[in-house]
Amino acid sequence: MEKREEMGVDSFQFGEEIQSLMSVVQPPEAGNSFTALLELPPNQAVKLLHSPEETTPNIFPSVFAVIETDNSLDTTSSIRPNSSPNNCNLVKQEPIDSYSLHNSSPMQSDPIISKSAKRKEREKKVKSSAKKSKNVADETDGEKLPYVHVRARRGQATDSHSLAERVIARREKINARMKLLQELVPGCNKVSFKNCYGHVYGCLHSIVPGAMIKISGTAMVLDEIINHVQCLQRQVEFLSMRLAAVHPSIDINLENMFSAESGSLMDCNFGGLVSSVDGQLNGSSHHQQQLWHTDALPPQPLWGGEEVTPNFITPENSLLSYDSSGNSGCLHTNQLKMEL
Amino acid sequence: MHTSSPLKKEFLKKWMEGLQICCSSKKQMNVLERKKKIKLSADIAMASAKKTPTSWSNALISYARRNEEYMILTDQLLGPESQFNLQKSTDRMIGFHKRVQCKKILKRRNTYSAGKRTKKKTGHPRLISATLIAKRLVKKRTKVLKRLVPGGESMDEFSLIKEALDYILSLKVQVDVMRSVVTATEILSNEKSLKSVE
Repeated sequence: MEKREEMGVDSFQFGEEIQSLMSVVQPPEAGNSFTALLELPPNQAVKLLHSPEETTPNIFPSVFAVIETDNSLDTTSSIRPNSSPNNCNLVKQEPIDSYSLHNSSPMQSDPIISKSAKRKEREKKVKSSAKKSKNVADETDGEKLPYVHVRARRGQATDSHSLAERVIARREKINARMKLLQELVPGCNKVSFKNCYGHVYGCLHSIVPGAMIKISGTAMVLDEIINHVQCLQRQVEFLSMRLAAVHPSIDINLENMFSAESGSLMDCNFGGLVSSVDGQLNGSSHHQQQLWHTDALPPQPLWGGEEVTPNFITPENSLLSYDSSGNSGCLHTNQLKMEL
Repeated sequence: MHTSSPLKKEFLKKWMEGLQICCSSKKQMNVLERKKKIKLSADIAMASAKKTPTSWSNALISYARRNEEYMILTDQLLGPESQFNLQKSTDRMIGFHKRVQCKKILKRRNTYSAGKRTKKKTGHPRLISATLIAKRLVKKRTKVLKRLVPGGESMDEFSLIKEALDYILSLKVQVDVMRSVVTATEILSNEKSLKSVE
């Protein structure tokens, strides 16, 4: 009985500890119970806490161990104001092995597990949840949970202290929660939207340059896609402008040759190109031919008019650098926007 | 980059055809007009160079054809058989677009009438706000993406992303081809001007 009292008092404390466990709890529980609990308003959830109906197999001893560890704290003292953000930051990564196993009554661990299922709400607004649990507890057997009263007051007391710290840590929590929520909640739009991201992430990493892009969440993926599309469209605009500026000086014959020869030249047939270039170059200087022979072959296929092929070698190399600079330009803007 | 060279070849061929048609129509054009035509022919070439016509490519072509000025160009470029297919797809898209707009109007009306009656928040406001924020972000971005991708207005989110990825791939091809052509022609023109100076 004493144990129970001590346990109950520090509700705020073990609420935080339980999150860390919850991260381990969730994968096996992904299906029904968690989402069902999520949808319950806090009153009913707390009722569930105190009713011995729910059973979850493996978690009991370890969860109870958490509570045991809390017993060392002074029950009557106010909650440490730093407790919440510190524990929150620990959130997802704490292994379950750190807690020793205890034998305890399964009844007691029921409330804790379902409580842990509600940890999101608890963390966000301990005050209101504490108050509500207080109300519910009043209805239930007073013998079991006299600590509820203390809990409510404690929530009020900590709010003023811990608000600042909570605000700081909130953003990280929101992101993590968003992800979890989107995975768990059965909303058809979101699920179908999210399911395609398996493919999208894969495609995106191959399409968007820069393997170090870390994409998490729906909004980030969309952001990335938008950036890329805008970047490419802008490039098309600039290039067409450049071509328009250059255009009047070029003969239409060039265009004819482009279209006529493009089919034959596209095959990367370098030997063929040599002969065609030698045959059809008009007024190309000796200098150019030497350039063409001595330069290393670019790995990319040569395509374009044969008059232009000797020039392709040098621009190809510059193209490679230009390519990377263009793409790195895109990448930089992407990264900047991501950081923002 | 893993862009396919047959796609490049196809695109280049069609683009050159389009440019020829442009050049043959008028002799004197100012820079902006020329740029527009170049871009247009590039876009149409891109859209038509795809083997499997996707939604955005059809949309591009249909947008181009709506403008009378460009209709001739596109028709010439694409050839007569494709016109028939495009007509069907454009009609379908117009119908779909209208349907989407009607849905939006209905939605707006319903939200205005029902918004005041129902109270939204049942759970903890902070928890709700997290999901609300997420939803809002996603909505904003899908709107932007719909505007960017041609023909994206009348698509659901799932296919929108697919189309966007496909569009990105073809845009890359387009940019590659255009860039090399541009640099090549620039160098060529420089050399020609040098020669003329000599």
